[in-house]
Amino acid sequence: METVLMDNLWVIIGTFLVLLMIGGFILLEAGSTRMKNAGHIAGKTIFTIGIGSLVFWAVGWGFIYGEGNWFIGLSDFFYGDTSFNEEGLSPAVDFIFQMMFALIALTIAFGGFAERAKLSAYVVFAVLFSALVYPVVAHWIWGSGWLAEHGKQDFAGSTVVHLTGAMAALAATIILKPRIGKYNKDGSSNELAGHNQVYTALAVLLLWVGWFGFNGASTFGVSEAFFGYVILNTQLGAAAGAVAAMLLVWAITGKADVPTTLNGALAGLVAITASCGFVEPWAAVIIGAIGGLIVYASMRFFDRARIDDPIFALSVHGTVGVWGTISTGFFATEALSSGADWGLPGLFYGGGFEQLGVQILGVVASGAYAFVVSFIILKVMDKVMGGLRVSEEEEIIGLDMSEHGSYGYPENIPHPDEQQAK
Amino acid sequence: MGYEDIKKWREQHIHEQMNHEQLNNFHDELMIKTVQSAMEKVKEEQGKVPAPFAFFLMGSASRREQSIWSDQDHGIIFDGPNQHQAYFQKLGTEIVDGLEIVGYERCEGKVMASESRWTKSVDDWKQQVINWLDEESWQSLRHFSTFFDSRVLLGEEKLLKNVKQVTFSYIQNHPKIMNRLVDNVGFIRKGVGVFGQLLPEQSGTRTGQINIKTMALFPFVNAIRLLVLCNQIMKTPTVERFAALKTKYSFLTEYQILFESLLAFKFQFTKDAAEYEEVHYIPLKKLSKKDKQELKEYMKKGAELFERTKNTIEKECSKW
Repeated sequence: METVLMDNLWVIIGTFLVLLMIGGFILLEAGSTRMKNAGHIAGKTIFTIGIGSLVFWAVGWGFIYGEGNWFIGLSDFFYGDTSFNEEGLSPAVDFIFQMMFALIALTIAFGGFAERAKLSAYVVFAVLFSALVYPVVAHWIWGSGWLAEHGKQDFAGSTVVHLTGAMAALAATIILKPRIGKYNKDGSSNELAGHNQVYTALAVLLLWVGWFGFNGASTFGVSEAFFGYVILNTQLGAAAGAVAAMLLVWAITGKADVPTTLNGALAGLVAITASCGFVEPWAAVIIGAIGGLIVYASMRFFDRARIDDPIFALSVHGTVGVWGTISTGFFATEALSSGADWGLPGLFYGGGFEQLGVQILGVVASGAYAFVVSFIILKVMDKVMGGLRVSEEEEIIGLDMSEHGSYGYPENIPHPDEQQAK
Repeated sequence: MGYEDIKKWREQHIHEQMNHEQLNNFHDELMIKTVQSAMEKVKEEQGKVPAPFAFFLMGSASRREQSIWSDQDHGIIFDGPNQHQAYFQKLGTEIVDGLEIVGYERCEGKVMASESRWTKSVDDWKQQVINWLDEESWQSLRHFSTFFDSRVLLGEEKLLKNVKQVTFSYIQNHPKIMNRLVDNVGFIRKGVGVFGQLLPEQSGTRTGQINIKTMALFPFVNAIRLLVLCNQIMKTPTVERFAALKTKYSFLTEYQILFESLLAFKFQFTKDAAEYEEVHYIPLKKLSKKDKQELKEYMKKGAELFERTKNTIEKECSKW
């Protein structure tokens, strides 16, 4: 009985930590973008997690964990189970913890909207993503969907949370097109530097700590204190990611670029999210380091492909989310996979290619679903709402003013009327 | 000859200049004609020049390192009371306008004879230079180094020499200032990465281009300026400074050859530039494998020369 209560307590602490990651995302997005949009970014994030929470309560949980078929769950809508289980988590604790993951995925998706989408686009997409995109992928892997049956390994959500969010961000980025001033006529790209690197660094730290809840509480209990091992792997992955990204960007450009280093830490965290419960610490270092290396390559790739990704959501959560998921196909140990009745060992532990194949299948299917459905939703919204993007004038004065009527930093930016008077 | 005529003359002949030396001679001719024209104009409006004076160049023009396009860096020194300041600033303003029409962009940092900081009487110039050195702040030493790279284009050379002589005496009496002057230009932007690759711009319209001015040219220019300061040599063009220093420092022979070849290299790749900003950059894709090797060698040797200069100054000049 005491253990059960401790299990519940541990997961609810994890819930708090994951919710605090939203604060990390606010600082990350605001710090990585221009000051004229800072208030908007902070406000819309809080507002959309409100929407996401209500939708998850109404239908999200039911679509993921309700009784249904291989594709989707279809019961337990408008959740309100007050029961207490003698074993495992109490339903409400489980529910609220799961809700946090849906909110993180939604916030990641909105990274692709940054600095140019209308507030109304956020509102509508928050509803549709939380109902139709995230729950389906989560059902496939974490519910009783078809990928779960294949033994797909995703300990805390490299695919379900990060890749799904990033695929929606990719669809949004493609439809919204680059921000004004990002690309020159000759195709070269300008650096629209974020207004506060300290915000961005503090965001990484906040997310990093939050990730201990994200991964650590995904043990769903305190049994054998396995969460300690998971958090150790998480720490090593993040550390290796930061170091690898910094060394790589310095070697290639001659500059120890701060945003790349910060993205390296996040990449390490995203990469280790799928594998933190399946691999040994040395493998966590390698998985995180590779995450740090590919995040920089990916940032350069998207930039050259003229896909404007203001806060690097596509690279950090998308590209690295793919790597993180596939990594267990190489590094999962026998004891922590088949030994724990969750898939098979990876290629380097004598498991052959089977688990690797399942992981790749999971990434391709989940990524494709999230991208295609998000793209269709956003295209329809684009038509129905008369465009997802604010006007050129609104984008130039900033979304703080155009969407909310006041600047996040009123002392530092003259009011548009005053600007005109000058 | 009016400014428009000089501009036409420039357009007709600038592409005929076959090498770096010829190009810089041509720039000198263009600027002398423009300044003479400005003097005529001001004479008509304000009367005759009220005192002996010198119009001097600074920056790349003065060091004879100009490319096909160049901006303006110049000043005036006059031998007379301060009441003549207004006349010479007026002349400076006219020169700036004239040079702009002829094709020389205004200096963003306002190092121009139209500004009171760069047009002064001999006495005020001496005082200003001493103040800069006394203050020894980042900005004041930048001003000083800019001033020290000056060359009279038109007028009385001895006026400028007088001020430079004051500089030498100051340094002789305050040798520690040399360390500050070294630090002031000690930051060298890295041009070659750990894998031996060139490091071009990463974003903006110059993506994939190498800033040859800051990464290759400046280490040579700055090192040689420091050595002439320490050895009280008046010459300004970097090549002439090399020649004057070589007798004392035989190791400079190798670097002089490299520097002259770097000027030729820069001339070759920037001679068709369409605007001023473009002359400082070379797109990597324009360079052959051999060119890249050559450019890396200039960068490596430039940094090496700066290091050796630092050590030389440490040993000889800052401890008189």
